[in-house]
Amino acid sequence: MNQSRSLSAAGVLGAALLFAVPAQAQQVYKIGVAAGLTGYAAAVDRAWRDGLEVAVDYVNGKGGVLGRKLQLVVEDNKSEPQEAVTVYRKMISSDKVDIFISGCVSAGNFAAAPLVVRAGIPMVLCSILPPQPEQVKWAFSFLAPPRFEVEKRYEYLKANTQIRKVGVLHDPSPYANLQKGIAEKIAPDFGIEVPVVEQYKQDDADFSPQISKMNAAGAKAVIKIGLGGSTLTTAKNIKQLGLDMLLLGSIDDLAVFKPTGETLGAQFMFVAAPAQVYEALPDGALKAEIGRFLPLWRAKHGERDPFWGGKAWDAVMVTMAAIEKANSVEGAKVRDAIETISGFQGTGGVYNFSPTVHQGITTNPFFMATMVGGKVQVK
Amino acid sequence: MAGRLLALAPTACAVVLVGYAIVAGGYFVALAGFALIYAVFVTGLNIFMGYAGQASFGQNAFAAIGGYVSAVLTTTWDWPTLPALGLGVTGAVACAVLIGWPTLRLRGHYLAMATLAIGLIVYEITVQWQSVTQGYMGISGIPPLGVFGYEAASDRAQLVLLSIVAAACMGSAWLIRNSRFGRALVALSGSEDAARALGIDVTRYKLAAFVLSAGYAAVAGSLFVHVVGFVSPEIFGMNMVVLGFTMLYVGGIGTVTGPLVGAIVINMLPETIRELKDYQDLVYGAALIVILIYAPGGLASLGALWRRPAEPPKPEPRPPVPEVVEAHPSEARP
Amino acid sequence: MTKDRATILETQALSARYGRIEALHAVDLDVGAGELVAVLGPNGAGKSTLLRSIMGLTDSSGTVRFEGEPLPRRDPVAVARRGVVLVPEGRGIFGPMTVAENLQLGAYLIGGRGPAFDQRLERVLTLFPRLKERLDQAAGSMSGGEQQMLAVGRALMAEPRLLMLDEPSLGLAPQVTAEILQTLASLNRGGLSVVLVEQKAPLALQIAARAYVVAGGTITARLDPREITSHDQLARYYFT
Repeated sequence: MNQSRSLSAAGVLGAALLFAVPAQAQQVYKIGVAAGLTGYAAAVDRAWRDGLEVAVDYVNGKGGVLGRKLQLVVEDNKSEPQEAVTVYRKMISSDKVDIFISGCVSAGNFAAAPLVVRAGIPMVLCSILPPQPEQVKWAFSFLAPPRFEVEKRYEYLKANTQIRKVGVLHDPSPYANLQKGIAEKIAPDFGIEVPVVEQYKQDDADFSPQISKMNAAGAKAVIKIGLGGSTLTTAKNIKQLGLDMLLLGSIDDLAVFKPTGETLGAQFMFVAAPAQVYEALPDGALKAEIGRFLPLWRAKHGERDPFWGGKAWDAVMVTMAAIEKANSVEGAKVRDAIETISGFQGTGGVYNFSPTVHQGITTNPFFMATMVGGKVQVK
Repeated sequence: MAGRLLALAPTACAVVLVGYAIVAGGYFVALAGFALIYAVFVTGLNIFMGYAGQASFGQNAFAAIGGYVSAVLTTTWDWPTLPALGLGVTGAVACAVLIGWPTLRLRGHYLAMATLAIGLIVYEITVQWQSVTQGYMGISGIPPLGVFGYEAASDRAQLVLLSIVAAACMGSAWLIRNSRFGRALVALSGSEDAARALGIDVTRYKLAAFVLSAGYAAVAGSLFVHVVGFVSPEIFGMNMVVLGFTMLYVGGIGTVTGPLVGAIVINMLPETIRELKDYQDLVYGAALIVILIYAPGGLASLGALWRRPAEPPKPEPRPPVPEVVEAHPSEARP
Repeated sequence: MTKDRATILETQALSARYGRIEALHAVDLDVGAGELVAVLGPNGAGKSTLLRSIMGLTDSSGTVRFEGEPLPRRDPVAVARRGVVLVPEGRGIFGPMTVAENLQLGAYLIGGRGPAFDQRLERVLTLFPRLKERLDQAAGSMSGGEQQMLAVGRALMAEPRLLMLDEPSLGLAPQVTAEILQTLASLNRGGLSVVLVEQKAPLALQIAARAYVVAGGTITARLDPREITSHDQLARYYFT
């Protein structure tokens, strides 16, 4: 009895595998999304997916592209490279997606890049670009270069404060590491010294030692590089130590900034994306584009931070523009067309792609902001 | 006879699924490939845990050593894949000797703790030693496996190659289990003192099992990076240990084919229920529980269940000590 | 109590401790070649510790001489190599392995195959025909009596020069115990030196040439079974 039951379970499993043949759909444009819906990237990648949904609904509401409706195929890569390879493979061979517009799990996108390139499918990414040149050819990043986040903070310090010594506090993620290197390198251009660079781990609970060290070295501001609750931890530690250092946070979710602002008040400043400071923007193309997206986003997601969702929207809009320009949905042609999209106003800034530039944001779109009384104020 | 057939059924299913993947192509190739790599990894784990009855929570460290040595040598130093794999395995084995030598003399939790520590340490090294490992950025562009100039570049060629390697690993595990060494391992897992009394050098054999399992793990790690073409620290994270344990128990700890069956079921199971989206993890968990309830010895031991009596024999009741010596004992003596 | 044969095993001031507790105090014991010596005594008297100490499985002091040469302490593998074999309390058979594998392990020191092995296997299976029927069965699935036969059979696979058994009657029905003890007696008649630890003294005394009574970790009496004619007489040795 036991055995037969378990065996029939095995049979069902086998049968399910055999019949899991994908249904071929006609006249849809399939967008594959490998996103870390669970795991460390969940916060950003869920927002990315939700932004894609808003954009796809919008495009479909207008009749789709080249007569085709958009269809999202979203697979959870669990924020892990191995899972990413599996879901990319599945979307390539079973779902036969036309393009990937994937989330921010860099390692997952890197791991799958060889397969995607071999299949001749363009990959539009929320993450940084893969390192191999032949993979970069097919990949387009909607992330701003890490330089911009650092530059904005240095510019602000130089223009508005007397602070010329800062400490850099970063986590070990690839993006944070890139920024750290840049922060060290470009500091002299702004007349700024970086006497202390300290690393933390995302799940550390106390950064007092690092902050004390920076204070002892004469740093008057902490350039904080890294996402999530660690920013609030840093703020609390600065407050506990009774220091008057500024805390300059990197791009993150408003949900992270709110409690940090409550803790440290105006001592806390952060790099803000356009969509996060919509109300304070001057009228113009940028505000108009965000104004197209934001009501749709808010209708579905209320006061949730629109930044990553907006990036996803931009990714869809750029892809649509490329398809229309190419007048084709064929992977290679869409890839070529994306390389010609320039001066494209998105919610996250202006995108300027070219054959040599696959990271579209080429001018600094960011603002410095504070969170006082629960309200974002642009500085 | 039925029992014997039944014993083969899970293994046969596993082989059929891999065969299907080779023929059908598609993403089952990726799934089957990962399953075979994990089968190698779990086979090593099984030698140490299933045969020798010890616990290691740090097998991911050896996979990481194998994987990273392969990755760095083939990308930075342009080594061919096979020598890179060989050096990775050598490195892992050397590392296992260094850790195992002092800790295996101790009983109980010391080894488990030491293995846990080595897992965490190697993970940290892969993250922090950026000049070599490139940290979380990972190393990409790792060439596919090749033998003597022939590169298994296509998915199917890779899967065939993996099948051969996995078969070789299962075969060697069978040979080990049925050797004097393998019997000695099972013996010492039953009772170290009883094993010693038979002349088995327990410490040395535990070390040998540990080193062997590290070797298998390193082979798996190296295969992984060559198949995927990319490596980053998360690939050899704690998750690998958890997966390995699950596969071992679902497949059948201590059995030769258990690791293969477990690896395939655990890799394929979530895919068959991917359509369930948010319920996927729930159903997956429930399925694991059902398997462990109805096949507590693992799927590979279903046939043995059939053959054995349903209940273990009860010990015979202890007879009371005779109250009186019945006769003159000396008369009974020769 | 005179000895008319060469001594095969001799302990002098053998003491053993588990951590801070001394479980065996200065035990002097000897076994003649080809002799069957019983070690009797109540539960917890130190009988098992005595056998384990001879085997080198405990933290012990004192000397143990085997065939005239000292046996190493804390090195059971070396002791086993000298031909001393212990059938531990609870039999120590390996339940998940087959009967055949258990027997192969018995001959571990000569490997699990080859002509010498086949010869030994033949002999053991002749002695215990019931094992022959069950060679491919998991040892743990056999009855207690069969398991004890396997334990003795496995020990014999090593071709011991000295066989030590720790309570082979434990948990067995009387007729099964009798069968096992008769086998031991006949092995002993064939020249095998045996140390038999038993709580069931009357049974052991039926086949033993001499007996020691151990209580509280020391030897409290040396007996000649021929002089023990009643239970009362035996009880005197136990409780005084």
